Amino acid sequence: MRRIFLITVIAGWTAAQLPAQLLQLRITGLDGLASKAKESVDITLDSSLLQMAGGFLARNGKGSKDSQDITSLLTALKAITVRSFEFNETGQYRIEDLEPIRAQLRTPGWSKIISTQKQGEISEIYTRMEQGKVVGFAIIAAEPKELTIVAIEGTIDLKDLSKLGGLGVPSIPIPDQGKKGKQE
Amino acid sequence: MNLDDELRAALRREDPSPGFAQRAVARAKSNPEPTMAIPIFQPVRISQMIWAAALAAMLVIGLTATSEYRQRKAERAGRDAVLALRITAEKLNMTRDKVLKREEN
Repeated sequence: MRRIFLITVIAGWTAAQLPAQLLQLRITGLDGLASKAKESVDITLDSSLLQMAGGFLARNGKGSKDSQDITSLLTALKAITVRSFEFNETGQYRIEDLEPIRAQLRTPGWSKIISTQKQGEISEIYTRMEQGKVVGFAIIAAEPKELTIVAIEGTIDLKDLSKLGGLGVPSIPIPDQGKKGKQE
Repeated sequence: MNLDDELRAALRREDPSPGFAQRAVARAKSNPEPTMAIPIFQPVRISQMIWAAALAAMLVIGLTATSEYRQRKAERAGRDAVLALRITAEKLNMTRDKVLKREEN
């Protein structure tokens, strides 16, 4: 009886975790780059850390508009992952190193809304839609001496993100969220 | 007898009577631990009070440490979140500039 109960609990927990795992973009294949980089940023914030961050910013933002905007943005997010590397020299990574990530972004659900490619430089923005809402957002920005991958999970209104002027977030023209954006 | 002799007689070394050590130990064991009586409540043993005070101190230290740890964790998460959004904004800006340049060309 106890065994059946345990199996039921484990199966339930696994089922509850499954959608999150399917949605989550796994940033793999970049582990060795931090040692070659002049500067690197490795940020992973899950929902509990984002809640804590929102609380901290709300308490310390002195009611500023930017602080309120960031806090309200953070409450709708489930996870943020940022990997950024800045190198002294070119050729420290290959575009092929990004293939495991780009392959995940080619799976159904993800849409490439912006893409530019020029001589070893790639800039791509992807969104993941569910019921007409953006629930995932990814950026790949690869330059000869810099590589940045951003993956944001959660209900995001890109217009809200673009409103964060105090952080230097630009007001970008955002394609209709239901449509596929411009692709090269 | 003069005073010196009297003192010498009074302070002379004498062996204890047989069984003295056993009697002393038994007496010590039979004596209850000293207690501090608190009115209203039953007498509380000093050792119990020490334990209670130690537990209370540990609880206070534990709660304070947890609170400070959570505060530091929240502070770091807040800084990381702002940095993550700043990097996101920078890369969005960069991508926008590239798209605009391409459209101009």
